[in-house]
Order: sequence, then C-alpha cells, then structure tokens
Amino acid sequence: MTMNAPVYHLTGVKKFYNSRPAVDIEKLSIPQSSITGLVGPNGSGKSTLLNMLAFIDRPSEGIILFKGQKAEPYSDTVRFRVSLLAQEPYLLKRSVYENIAYGLKLRGGDSSRYSKQVNEALSLVGLSSREFSNRPWYGLSGGEAQRVALAARLVLKPEVLILDEPTASVDADSAGRIMDCALMASKEWGTTLIIASHDWKWLNEICGKVIQMFKGKIIGSGIEGILFGPWIPGKSGEYHEKALADGQIVKVPKPPSPEASAVIPQNLIVLDLHPPALKPGEHFLKGVIAQLSLEPYAQTVMISIRAGGQTFTLRIPQEKMREPVFFPGQIVYITYPLSAVTWY
Amino acid sequence: MDFIIDGLLQAIQLLLHGDGETYSAVSATLRVSTYSMAASLLLGIPLGFLLGHNDFLWKKHVRTIVDTLMSLPTVLVGLLVYAFLTSRGPLGEYGLLFTLEGIAIGQAILALPIVIALTAAAVESMDEKLRVTLVSLGASRRQVLYSTLWEARYGILAASMNAFGRVLTEVGIAMMVGGNIKWHTRTITTAIALETNKGEFATGVALGIVLMAIAFIVNFSFSFLRNRS
Amino acid sequence: MKRNLFVVSLSLIAVFLIFSGSPAFSADAKLLRMATTTSTDDTGLLDYLKPYFVKETGIDIQWIATGTGKALKLGENCDADVLLVHAPDAEKKFVADGFGLDRNVVMYNDFVLIGPASDPAGGKGKGVKECLSAISGKNIKFVSRGDKSGTHQAEQILWKTSGLPVPDKEPWYAQAGQGMLTTIQIAAEQNGYTLTDRGTYIKYEYTMKGNPPLKILVEGDDLLKNIYSVIVVNPAKCPNVKSDLAKAFSDWMSRPSTQNLITGFKLSGKQLFFIYSK
Repeated sequence: MTMNAPVYHLTGVKKFYNSRPAVDIEKLSIPQSSITGLVGPNGSGKSTLLNMLAFIDRPSEGIILFKGQKAEPYSDTVRFRVSLLAQEPYLLKRSVYENIAYGLKLRGGDSSRYSKQVNEALSLVGLSSREFSNRPWYGLSGGEAQRVALAARLVLKPEVLILDEPTASVDADSAGRIMDCALMASKEWGTTLIIASHDWKWLNEICGKVIQMFKGKIIGSGIEGILFGPWIPGKSGEYHEKALADGQIVKVPKPPSPEASAVIPQNLIVLDLHPPALKPGEHFLKGVIAQLSLEPYAQTVMISIRAGGQTFTLRIPQEKMREPVFFPGQIVYITYPLSAVTWY
Repeated sequence: MDFIIDGLLQAIQLLLHGDGETYSAVSATLRVSTYSMAASLLLGIPLGFLLGHNDFLWKKHVRTIVDTLMSLPTVLVGLLVYAFLTSRGPLGEYGLLFTLEGIAIGQAILALPIVIALTAAAVESMDEKLRVTLVSLGASRRQVLYSTLWEARYGILAASMNAFGRVLTEVGIAMMVGGNIKWHTRTITTAIALETNKGEFATGVALGIVLMAIAFIVNFSFSFLRNRS
Repeated sequence: MKRNLFVVSLSLIAVFLIFSGSPAFSADAKLLRMATTTSTDDTGLLDYLKPYFVKETGIDIQWIATGTGKALKLGENCDADVLLVHAPDAEKKFVADGFGLDRNVVMYNDFVLIGPASDPAGGKGKGVKECLSAISGKNIKFVSRGDKSGTHQAEQILWKTSGLPVPDKEPWYAQAGQGMLTTIQIAAEQNGYTLTDRGTYIKYEYTMKGNPPLKILVEGDDLLKNIYSVIVVNPAKCPNVKSDLAKAFSDWMSRPSTQNLITGFKLSGKQLFFIYSK
C-alpha cells in the first residue's frame, strides 16, 4: 500500500440480480480525496454500485480493492472509514441526538465529547441543536430528516463519503445545505466523495470526473447521449435507422439486436453552424442549442443540443469559446462517424 | 339484564373487600400468564426474528404453518396437553396435570405461534434501508442484529400484547389442564365459566370486569412505557 | 430508552423466578385428588365437608368437578385418586373393568322431572313412565344434558325402562351438552321439560329467588333415586395414585358423624342429600 494507491480499484466487478447483471464494470479507479460523480437513468445500476463501494453488499464476481487491500462488508479495514447516505433517509426510531450519536457510539471513544460532536454536526447541516437534538424521528420534514442523516455521517468524518441522490427528494434549501456540506467535507477533511445525482450541473461543477452508467456498465464521462431502439434496417441495408420526433432520421451501424441502445461518444461529435459536407460513413443531425454551462473544475463549456426530442451534449475547452458564436436557441449541426457508435 | 348492573357493583365489592376466592383466582391468572408469557417470549422472539430475518428454502411454507397455528383452538391445545400430562401420558411422571405450570405449558403453546408470527412480520416489515443505514454507520453483524431487534421493538411489543390478550382470556386450556380446582388452579376465566354454570351470572360478570381491569392495567403500563421511549 | 426495556425484562424474569420457587407443583404426599360430578360442587356440599375432612384426617383434598363420564375417564387415566360419582351402571362397569375398587354407596338424593307450570304434558303428580310417554307422544320440548354425565345416563335409563326409544335426533329433543344449571336454564328459556337432581333444582330455585318458571312435576318415583358412590382408583392399574388416602376418604364418608354432616347440609332450609340405607 502506497500513499498514491487509489481509494478504490475495481476489477471485473459484477453484481447479479436473478442472473441479470445489474452492474458489470471491467475497471474503475477512484483516487484519494477526489470527487467523483455518477450519472445514468434510473435502474442503470448506480445504487447497486454505490452499495458495493460502501461495502454494504458484496459483488457477485470481481475484486474491490480499498487502498490496495481486498475489503469485504463488515471488515475492519473499511467499517469505520466509508459511509453511505442513501437516497431516502432512514432514521432509527430514536431521537435526533441518538441517531447522530449512533455511529460515534459504535466507534467507542470519549463519550463525554459526543454531545459536542453531535451539536457541531447539526450546525454543519444547518439545524439548531437546541431545537432538534431531542426531537423524535417522526417529528421531522423530509428535508430535515435527510440533513439529520447527513449529520450522522459527517459526525464520523469518514474517509469516503458516498451520497446516493442526496438532493433528489428534498426542498431547495436542504439541497443547498447538503451540497455545501459535501464540498466542505472534501475541502476541510480531504474526504473522498462519490456522488450519484441527476443534477448534472452540480456534478459538472464540483466533480473531477463524472462517470455515466447505463445498463450496469460505465459508458463514458457523464454526458453521453443515449439513443434507444427500436432500429429498423435502412433502404440500402447497410445501415439501420430510427425516426426522431421531428422526422429526422438517425443512422447507425447494424445493431446487435433491434432493441439495443446506441451511444455516440461525445468527443467524436463535431459541431457546425452550417450543414456540413459529409465524408463517407458520416451522418449529421440538425438541432438547437438548449443550454450552455461553464464547468469551472474542468475549464470547459458544456453544450446541450436538442434534436428531435433527444439531447446530445458535448464539451468545448473554454479557450475555444472566446468568440460568442454559440448561444442558446441557435441552430447547429452535429456530425458523427457511424463507426463511433457503441452498443449497450 | 339486571345481572350486568349487579355484576358491576359486585365487582367493586369483590375487589374492595378483598374477597379471598377472587384474589386467589387473580393470583392464579397472573402467575400462569407470567409463566406462559415468559416462556413464549423467550422462545418466540428469537425464533420469530430468525424467521423474519433470514431467507431459506421453505420459508413461505413455514410462515403459512405458523400463521395457521395462530388460530389454534384453546380446547384442542388443552386436550393435547392433557394427553401429554395425564399420568398415563408421556410426561405423566412430572405430575404437571392440574397445576398452574401445566396450564402455563398449554398457554405457552397457544401464545408461541402468535409471538413468532407477529415478530417475524415486524422484522420483515423493517426496511432494507435499515440494514443499509446500520452498516453504513459502521455496525458489525452483531450490532446490526441488536439494532434491528431494537428497531422492531414496537412490533414485538404489539406481538407480546396480542399473545398476552389471548393467554389472559383463554378458558379451554385452564379448564382442561388445570381442572378448575378452587384455591389452586381456578383462574378468573374458569371461575367465570363455573359461576355461569352455577347460574351466578352477576358473579360471572363481576369476575369478567376484574379480568378486563387487569388487561387494562397491563396495556396501560405498556403504552405508557412506549410513549416514554 | 434501552434502559426501560431492560427494566421490564428484568422484572419479568424476577416475577418468573419468584413464582417458579413457589410449591405449586410439588406433589404433596398428603394431598388427595378427587374427580367428582358437578352437583356435589355446585350445591356447595364439598366446600361444606372439606374443613371437617381435613381436620379429622389431616389429609388435604382437591377436586375437579365435571360430568360423571369425564370423572370416570380421569380415573381411568390415573389422573384422580378417588371418584365421587352417580351413575351406578357405569360405575359397576368401571369396577368390573378393573379401574376401581370398593364402590362405596355414600348417599343419595333424587331426580325430579321439572317443566313449565302450565304442564302441557299433563305429567303432574303421575309416574315417570306416564310423563315421558306424554312428552314423546305429544312432541313436547325436552332438554337433555347430553353430556354422558350421571344425570344424562339416568335419563337414558328412564326412557328405556319406560319402554320408549331413547330420543336422539327428534326435533322436540334438545341435547344441551352443558352442566345441570345451564341445562335447566335452557329448558326454562324454551318452556321445556328436563330431568335434574333435586339438589341442583333447589339451588336453581334459590337463585331464582323462590319463584322459578320451571316447577317440579314428577317426584318420589322409585325410578328417580340418584345414588352417589365413592370409588377408589385401582392402584394395580395406576401405581401413582394415593389409594391409601383414597381409602381413608371413602371410609370417612361412611362414618356416622360424616353421614350426620351430610344430612345436616341444607340450602334455603331444604335438605339436599340423604343417607342410603342398604
């Protein structure tokens, strides 16, 4: 084990539910003190992966190394180091204080300090300890409950904090608090964060890397457009195709099955202001810029383009954006080589 | 109708004037239900927990059987226990027939499926999220187990109260196995049956009220406890 | 919070320990267990006799009051040391089968046929045969114990000796399957006839404050004698029974002083049990 060993190193990790693979990851490394985002549609395997990273469930196949060591659920190497906050908060049927102190008590330590630690954790998530400490578990709103659950993790100052859709079912104020706390943990304590969220903007803002999952596999860096089937053979027979909502045709190579989903890697998409001259084996679609957003961490601009009810996203380095050639509402053309299409 | 009002007045008299027969029946009832509840909880909670917490091949069928046993008729239990405890039965040598312990055995058999089934249901209804939460806060296997039991405490309490209600009010086992012996194995319920047979309806009603009072006190103390915690 | 549960379980265990230390099931060497019929218990005769017996013999006695049928069954299963029952035919068979010893006739009372004051069968003052024939001939409601008790067995014999088939499924014949007092109450609700021992009837009359809807219509017939005997359960079949204590009880019941106690037992001024002179 060296200082530079990544916190997580996954090789050939698979998790089956009823013989269907819910997660299937060949390789994944997560560096120490990094912030990693995880996106993907519901049912893409994010929660299953997070539960394995939190050592709550073990993979059906493959190896998860934690700081270079093989780790298992309940093992002492990880028990007090990794903590997960699930999407829907579950509070123990005890007071707020007891909920937050639960993990501290498991770890033992100086019990005279619990009260101070709990109060600090409560104030981090923006709840006054005087008002909330003695409240029963049922006396909280959804947002408050999620914040208490987060406080119960923060009080442990974990090395790795895994957040599964932490802001999905809470009010805006609570969501803001939760985001701040996560960043604070990363900055102050060097906590490694792994966050699954539908909030792309937030993730792109704070994450060193955003992983996109689809059908249990990692398909890219988080902004890949997924084109769902069914595909029908084109006239020439060389390509398969599908009509989008606005009548445009998407062309793809022969899919493994008519229902397969196609992914076009965003780094192979070319953006034009005018209809491009196609080379053999290329295809283009006409779309409208829906959104431009700055990614301060990666120093890039993310452009979302809507074409026929489908969103394509690509990144452009900030320095290429000096001239304000792109603006929301502008009509653009995206070109991709058919050979770049990958199937899931 | 008169005997209901008579019964109410008589109930107050029986309790206030320290009627020996009544207190003997109350004491027999309390003792026997304490034995049977202690036994059925000691056995039933762990078994119910195992049944609710673990997955195994025949789990569904075991659940169905246990659920069915919840409706065991008391007289049938009484008859079966009698068959075992009679001097000619396999357990005859222990001299448990016509004793409070004998009744307690029958009542424990009556209560056990209730405790097991309702504890299992309470544990099953515990969210998968509970385990995720406990593990993610650093609980070991053993701590997960204890905390899950503690989280299911209201369900288990409800199971116990339910079983207690059944045990407290049953008459078939107490009559069949206990023999309704005055000063010894006469419980409140067998006393009610006897008084009814003798045509002393008012005394029967009075004893019924005493029984309900006991049930009320026990339920009240548990709900007090529940609100406290 | 955890402390509360802890306290509750501790006190439960404490209560359990206290009670399990109590001598409830230590088989007392001087304890006699009797199976008897409901009438001896319901009338209060046993409660009246017990203190004399305990004082004079030093033997403690407990009884299970049930129908004679079940009392004999308990004897057969060695669950009682002694029986006080009233079904001579069944008793003789019990002794003949080797389950009991020394059938000792200790007292009698009598059965009476009771029915509504209007007496639709017109049996008042007549014999048992006439009354039962009228009941079955006119299909008048009759409520039977229907529980193989001594009274039930006596009733069945009465039908037979009256030359009538023993009713079973006839619509006018109801088998209550309950104790004597309950059966009388059912008969009263249905305005029917029933057979009862006089002791229970006096008790019934007493609880109805002297004015019961059912009256005695047939009494004094020789067929109506209700004989009680004490039987010692045979130690040869049941090695565990305390046959010496049982024998002591049987002897005590035959003592002249005890017989005087029995005849002196009265309920609302009426004698319930009589001495049987052989």
